[in-house]
Amino acid sequence: MSKRTALIFGHNKYAHEIISNVKKTYSNIRIFALEDVDDDSPYEVEKFDLSDDWKGIGEDINIEESIAFCVLQDMAENIFLTISLRSNFADLAIIAVALNRESANKLSMAGANKVIPLVETTADIITNILEKPISSKILSNILYEESSLKIAQIKIDTESKLDNHKLVSIDWTRYHGVIILSLIHEDMKSEFIYSKKMKEYVIQSGDILVVVGYENDITEFEKIIGSKRYVNWSHWRG
Amino acid sequence: MLKDIVLDIAYYLDTSSTYQKRKRFFYDILENDKNKYKKFIDIFMIILIFISVAVLIREVKYHVDDFLLFFSNYIVSFFFLVEYLLRLWVNSSVSKIIVKRAEYDSFLLRDVRLSKALKEAFLVKIHYMLSPQAIIDFLAIMPFFHELRVLRIFILFRVFKLFRYAKSIQIITSILATKKFEFLTLAIFAFVVVFISSVLIYVMEANQANSQITSLYKAVYWAIVTISTVGYGDITPVSNEGRFVAILVISSGVAVLAFTTSLFVSAFTEKLDEIKEIKTVEGIAKLKKLYLICGYSDVASTVAKKLSKAGNKIIILDKYESAVSKAIKDGFVALAYDPGSVESYKKININLEKQVKHILCLNEDDVENVYSALTIRSLSKDVEILSLLINDKNRKKLEFAGINKIVYPQELVGLITKELVGIPVAFEVIHELRSEHANVKIDELGITQRIVDNFATVSELDNKNYRIVLLGIYKTSKERFYFNPLDDTILEVGDYLLVVGYSMFIREFEKYLHTKVRSE
Repeated sequence: MSKRTALIFGHNKYAHEIISNVKKTYSNIRIFALEDVDDDSPYEVEKFDLSDDWKGIGEDINIEESIAFCVLQDMAENIFLTISLRSNFADLAIIAVALNRESANKLSMAGANKVIPLVETTADIITNILEKPISSKILSNILYEESSLKIAQIKIDTESKLDNHKLVSIDWTRYHGVIILSLIHEDMKSEFIYSKKMKEYVIQSGDILVVVGYENDITEFEKIIGSKRYVNWSHWRG
Repeated sequence: MLKDIVLDIAYYLDTSSTYQKRKRFFYDILENDKNKYKKFIDIFMIILIFISVAVLIREVKYHVDDFLLFFSNYIVSFFFLVEYLLRLWVNSSVSKIIVKRAEYDSFLLRDVRLSKALKEAFLVKIHYMLSPQAIIDFLAIMPFFHELRVLRIFILFRVFKLFRYAKSIQIITSILATKKFEFLTLAIFAFVVVFISSVLIYVMEANQANSQITSLYKAVYWAIVTISTVGYGDITPVSNEGRFVAILVISSGVAVLAFTTSLFVSAFTEKLDEIKEIKTVEGIAKLKKLYLICGYSDVASTVAKKLSKAGNKIIILDKYESAVSKAIKDGFVALAYDPGSVESYKKININLEKQVKHILCLNEDDVENVYSALTIRSLSKDVEILSLLINDKNRKKLEFAGINKIVYPQELVGLITKELVGIPVAFEVIHELRSEHANVKIDELGITQRIVDNFATVSELDNKNYRIVLLGIYKTSKERFYFNPLDDTILEVGDYLLVVGYSMFIREFEKYLHTKVRSE
C-alpha cells in the first residue's frame, strides 16, 4: 500500500489543531503517542517509543509524498524523535514545533525541514497585530481565513506564455487583477518582484511566481499564462 | 447682619468655579508634583535661595552692590512672602469650613454658630503655620527687615527651604525618619556619655595646674570632640584620672560612630528598593502611548523586546519578584505589582485611557489573564486589551472578561501547518514580509490631508517608480480592504495604503507622499 500520509507524533492540543487543519489535504492520518491514550480520544492513536526503528512505517506509506509532524511536549524527546526519523527516512518532510529559538535551532540541526518556534511565532503575531493592525488583518485573512482573496504559487513550465519573457516587460501590478509579489528560481531563492536582480531577468520554465488575487482571477491568470498552481516541499531539502 | 455677609461670602467662594479653579491652579504649581509648571517654580525658588546666600557670604568681607543687596533683602523676601501667603491660602479652605458648619447647624435646625466655624478655621491655619516647613518659610522672609542686623542670619533659613524643593532631600529625610527610634536611642546614649564624661573630666581636671579644662563649657566641648572621634587635640586631659575618663569616652565614641554608620546604611539598604520603585512610578506618570504588559512569560519577553526595538515604551507588571528581576535585567521598566489588583494601578498612578496604547495579558495561565483583564475593565471600559489563550475551553471566559483580541498559540500552529503543507513557498514569502529582519517589508501608510491635497487618486501615486507594490487600500470609513485598487480609486483622509517593498524605498515613497506639491 502506498499513499500520502500525515504522521503526527504526539497526542496533545497541537496535534489536534494540526489534524483539523490538514485532514483535507491528507486522507491518511496516523497519530503516534509515547504514552497510552484514553479510549475516549476521537482518533486512533498508535503507541511508539523513541527506540523504534520505524521499519513498519517505511513499508506501508510513500515516504516522499508524506509529511511528519513532531509535536512532543518534551523538547529533548522531540529533538530525539526528529533525529531518529531523519536517520531512517532521508526524503521525509518533517515539520517540528519548538518552544523557543534555542530548541528551534536544535530541531533544524536534527534534520527537521521546517520548525515552528512557538514563542517567537506567537510574539511575531502579537507584535504585528499591535504595530501593523491593518496589514496583519489582511495577511491573516489571505493566509488563514476562508476569504476570497488568496495567495498562490504558480510554476512556469515550458508551455507557459511567460516562458522566456523579460520580467520588466509585463505590467505586473495590473495583470488581470492579480499582484505578483515574488519569483522563486529553480535554486529556490525567493526574489522580490522589484529587486535589482529582477530588472533584467528573463523568466524561465521552472520558476515559481507567488501571486495574490481573488480566486477567480488567479484561475483566469493560470489559464492565460498556461501554468498551474504547484505544491511541493522540494525547496526545503538540501 | 455681619454673620449673613460672612456666610454669603463663604457660600459664594465655595461654589464659584473661577475662584476654585484659581485656588486649584496655585495649589498645583506649589504642591502637586505632577504639575508640569511646579518644577519651574521650584527651580526659580532654588535660584533665589542661592543668590541670597551668595550675597550673604560676599557681604561678610566685601562691599556688595546696592542693587544686589536690595534684590536679596526685598525682592527675594517679597517672593518668599507671596509664596508663604499662597501656601497658607491653598493649604486649607476657610469657606469650606464655614459652609460645612452652616449646613450642619441648619440640618439640626439651629442657629449657625459662626464663631465655632471661625475658630476651627483659625486652628487649621495655625496648625499649618506651626508646621516645621511653614516656620522655615516664615523665617526665610525675615531678612525683609534687614535693618535689624541680627535678622540677616535668617537668610540661612532660606537654605532650609531647599528641603521643600529638592525631592532627593525629602527622600533622605523620609528614609532617616524610618529609623527614628534607633536614632533617638543613639542620641540618648550619646547625651548620657557626654553628660557623664564632661562632669567627670571637669571634676578631675578643673583644679589641675596645667589643665585647659577650666570650665564646664570647655569640658562639654572636649567630650563632644572626643566622642565624635574628631579629636582636635586643642584640649587634652593632664591627670591620670582625666586620661582614664578619656579612654572611656574614646571607647564609647567608637561604639557611637559604628552604631550611627550602621543605622544610616541599614536605613538606606532597606529603603533602596522602595526608592527605586518611587522613581520608577514617577517615571511612568510622564510616559504616554505605552504598552502595559501583565505577566512576564517567555512570549511576553519576546513581545516586549520586539515592541521596544520598534521604539515603543513598555511597562511590565508581574506579581512574582523573579519575573520582575528578569524583566529589569532585560532592560525594561518592571514592577512587582499584581496585575490582578486594582491597588497596583492606583499605586502606579496611571491613566489607562490616556497613557496606555494597549494592555497585553501574557501570562501562561488563563485564570491569571481573565483576572487581570477583569481588574483592568473595572478601571477602564475603553482601553484595548489583548490576551494569550492557553486552553481553548476558556475562550468564552476571556471574551466575557472584555478582552478585545485573543491570541491562541495552538491554533496558530494548526493554521501555520495548513499553509505550510498547502502553499509552502507563498507562506514563506508572506512570513518573510512580516519578519522584522527582512529587507522586503509590508507596511501601512496613513493618508493625511496633505497627501489627499496632492494625490487625488491611486493612479497619481507613482508607486511603481519607487519599486513598490500597492497591495491595496484600507478604507477606514467603510472598514473594508480594496485589493489591487483601480486607478481611479479616490484617496481619502484616514485611509491606509498597504504597500510591499524594500524598507528603504518605502521610506522614500512615504517622504515623497508627504513632500510632493501638486503642480498646477
